[in-house]
Amino acid sequence: MEVCKVKTRKILNVLLLSVLCLSVGFASGNQEKMDDDILTVYAYDSFVSEWGPGPIVVPRFEEATGIKVNLVSVGNGGELLTKLELEKNSPKADVVIGISHELLSKTLSSGLFLPYESPVLQDIPISLQFDETHSLLPFNYASYSFNYDSEELEDIPTSLDDLLDEKYKRSIIIMDPRTSSVGMGLLEWTVKVYGDDYLLWWEGVKDNILTIADGWSSGYGLFTEGEAPIVLSYITSPVYHLMYEDSDRYKSTIFEEGNYVALEGVGIVKSSNQKENAKKFVDFLLTDAQLDIAIANIMFPANKHVILPPEFATIQEPIEILSLDHDVINTSRDTWIKEWVEVMSK
Amino acid sequence: MSIRSRDNQKTSILNASRFYRNLSTPALLILTFLFFIPLIIVLSKAFVDENNTISLKVFLTLLTDPYIIRVISFTIMQAALSTIGALIIGLPGAYLLANYSFRGKKIIKAISAIPFILPSILVVLGFVIFYGNKGILNSILIALFRLENPPIQILYTFSAIILAHTFYNFPIVVSIVSNFWSNMPHQTALAASTLGASKRKVFTTITLPRLVPAIISASALVFLFCFSSFAILLVLGGGPKFTTIEVEIYQRARMIGDINGASALALISIVIAIIILFLYLFTQQKMSNTEELESTMMKNNGVRKIEKLRNKFIVTLYTLFTSLFVLGPLLSIVHRSFFSQKSRSAAMTFTLDNYRKLFISASAIDGIALQSLTNSLIIAFIVALSSTMIGVMLSSRISSSNKKDQLGLEIFAMLPMAVSSVVLGLGYYIISLYQVPISSFKIVLVVLAHVVITSPFVLRSMLPSYRRIPFSYRQASFTLGANVRQTFFSIEIPLLKGAIATSAAFAFAISMGEVNATLVLADSSIITLPLVLYRLIGSYNFASACALGSLLMGICLLIFLAVEFIKKEN
Repeated sequence: MEVCKVKTRKILNVLLLSVLCLSVGFASGNQEKMDDDILTVYAYDSFVSEWGPGPIVVPRFEEATGIKVNLVSVGNGGELLTKLELEKNSPKADVVIGISHELLSKTLSSGLFLPYESPVLQDIPISLQFDETHSLLPFNYASYSFNYDSEELEDIPTSLDDLLDEKYKRSIIIMDPRTSSVGMGLLEWTVKVYGDDYLLWWEGVKDNILTIADGWSSGYGLFTEGEAPIVLSYITSPVYHLMYEDSDRYKSTIFEEGNYVALEGVGIVKSSNQKENAKKFVDFLLTDAQLDIAIANIMFPANKHVILPPEFATIQEPIEILSLDHDVINTSRDTWIKEWVEVMSK
Repeated sequence: MSIRSRDNQKTSILNASRFYRNLSTPALLILTFLFFIPLIIVLSKAFVDENNTISLKVFLTLLTDPYIIRVISFTIMQAALSTIGALIIGLPGAYLLANYSFRGKKIIKAISAIPFILPSILVVLGFVIFYGNKGILNSILIALFRLENPPIQILYTFSAIILAHTFYNFPIVVSIVSNFWSNMPHQTALAASTLGASKRKVFTTITLPRLVPAIISASALVFLFCFSSFAILLVLGGGPKFTTIEVEIYQRARMIGDINGASALALISIVIAIIILFLYLFTQQKMSNTEELESTMMKNNGVRKIEKLRNKFIVTLYTLFTSLFVLGPLLSIVHRSFFSQKSRSAAMTFTLDNYRKLFISASAIDGIALQSLTNSLIIAFIVALSSTMIGVMLSSRISSSNKKDQLGLEIFAMLPMAVSSVVLGLGYYIISLYQVPISSFKIVLVVLAHVVITSPFVLRSMLPSYRRIPFSYRQASFTLGANVRQTFFSIEIPLLKGAIATSAAFAFAISMGEVNATLVLADSSIITLPLVLYRLIGSYNFASACALGSLLMGICLLIFLAVEFIKKEN
């Protein structure tokens, strides 16, 4: 009996072991070496994505400098800072790509970033340099915009107030500020324009909203499927359809009161033990990589010397580029979301 | 019986429990390390307030917030309604599958398992392409009846949520109830009708009461799934009116970084889920106590051909309806994958471009789809193998222990199903901060995490079958001189073949479609098929995402069909 029990256990152990070996064997194929001289870069997932700038920019940097880069995807943009704060006792990242300007206060108060006065800053318009301490350096930007389907919509809205009109009943797709940074952008946009009365706008627009998507992807997917003629997106989105689909069907709008801006920054983590390499990477990102980033992200590059493909020239400049003070955002963000949910869920 | 063999039997039974206990150890170890420790680490944060002192403050703030209370009650309400929806659509199907044999039965079974494994973003888009304002259904109706406005405006309302949840979950009802029904001994009903009871009376007094445990256990599962639903609710429901606990957890954990609040909410939802799990497990045990697998000869006696014209009509109607309901959104995805527009304004034309783009395009993303496909297939294969083994081990352990232990063990093993992947991901996240050198073993971690995620499903289909193996078989085997090992491998395992095949298929399919845990654990260094799919949708490549989604569905359909044929051979 004993013998046979041992035997059974052996068989099962061998089976389990072989499964584990199989996985380990498979793992070793995928494994990257964790040497000290590899620069670890955190970015939001669509930057790392095959269709994002990461796979083009990183190899070019490695080739140019000989510095190896480990590009790590960290969910969506809003999650970057959360992850860094969780990790603050055992930091892994050297460079972080994609923290948006509205999180600046939170970023600065975390004390996790190293101010870096890059020589490239002189090529970046002052208006884009949202962080005076240069802990976060802007690398691309685009205004938010209500984009429309020109084959479905005749009356083009020209202001936030326009969107309250009855003729747009169930015609607008937006995103939820609780789960999407684009959605949060719109919420801040309305606070910027209407101040304390912003909830009145939301109250009024409610019936015109078809649905509030969890993220930009599903929302924009619904829009191109024809579910609604208006969608919250970026002012630059039509460039994609022009460049890759040769279509000018989808257009963006500029609003009288101005369009709220999405600025994305890159920063060096203070605890990095390869600060020089990190600086090289940031400089590269702000110079040689700018065109690739702009084309893959469909956003404007921060560096003013970049020569863009002609499709970008079709995008109108916003009448005014709006943004809220980051300290105000930091203190009031949670309240806005709470009040927003209260109004929108009635 | 000789003295020797009697002794033999005694030792065998003694050894049996030890054998099964040893058998389950690896499974319990994996669950402990990959599920319970991360979970406990996350949940412990719920008892810490912002000053890092231990208190119940976080809970008190949450539970006195009328908004949170509203969210909790809405979560429960929508899950309950969705469950009712799934029962309404699922029970007739269960009846048909259990009692009649007809052509295409296998295909129906295989197809109905598909929605279940699709990434939710694809379900949402499939729904939109089919039921949407510009969707296929509306376009057909508009063309047929020359209407001006889309006649079906069901999306972006509360009904859309229930519809989508029903679509997602009624196959669970069909599969659990029909399995139970067709294995139910037929004699009692036969006896009743011999004694003169009318058909209706037999159904209401004999069949239905015996089905109740199966119905309750299916309902409990459906309820759990709807309980943690997320994207479907937000997009198809139309907005924050329909916020569930899961959305709140996601927002706090990922966007605000309020880990304490997220943990407290997670704990609240887990407590509710455990109550439901109790209900499920309790009825499961009841099911196994009342029904033992009788002789296999009797089993199929109840299945008959449909003869009456009226019945044929009803069956056809139901099949048509469910096909439209399930296949509509699924086929919409396939349809879209073969069509594209020359330009955005042009008409849709048939093309293979979307597939070509994925596999033979000449850009930087060369081969990425193929690589993700290989990765996913390998991972899914290993996961299916390991979790089926673990499932067998756990079910043998569970069914050979006493009642009280059984319940505890089952809760332990089923709990992963009740915990949202956001919470689990957070746990892995926190652990990875403790300098655990996981980075070189990412793929192992991904596989193990998938095993944890799939094991409740495996157990769910394995355990009832295991329990149905009559104890007398084991006794007979021992009496005839076989030892525990022999009994296990040559009596129990062969009897479980069907259940093993089903479990393996589910584990495979779920692993193929899993994206959350993979992303957290492998921080995208391992590219899987659903990950590429998400990225495609996120980068304007909607049609190619449909192509990849169709591929995913095709693979899973093949797997499920294979299972149906293995079962038949049994």
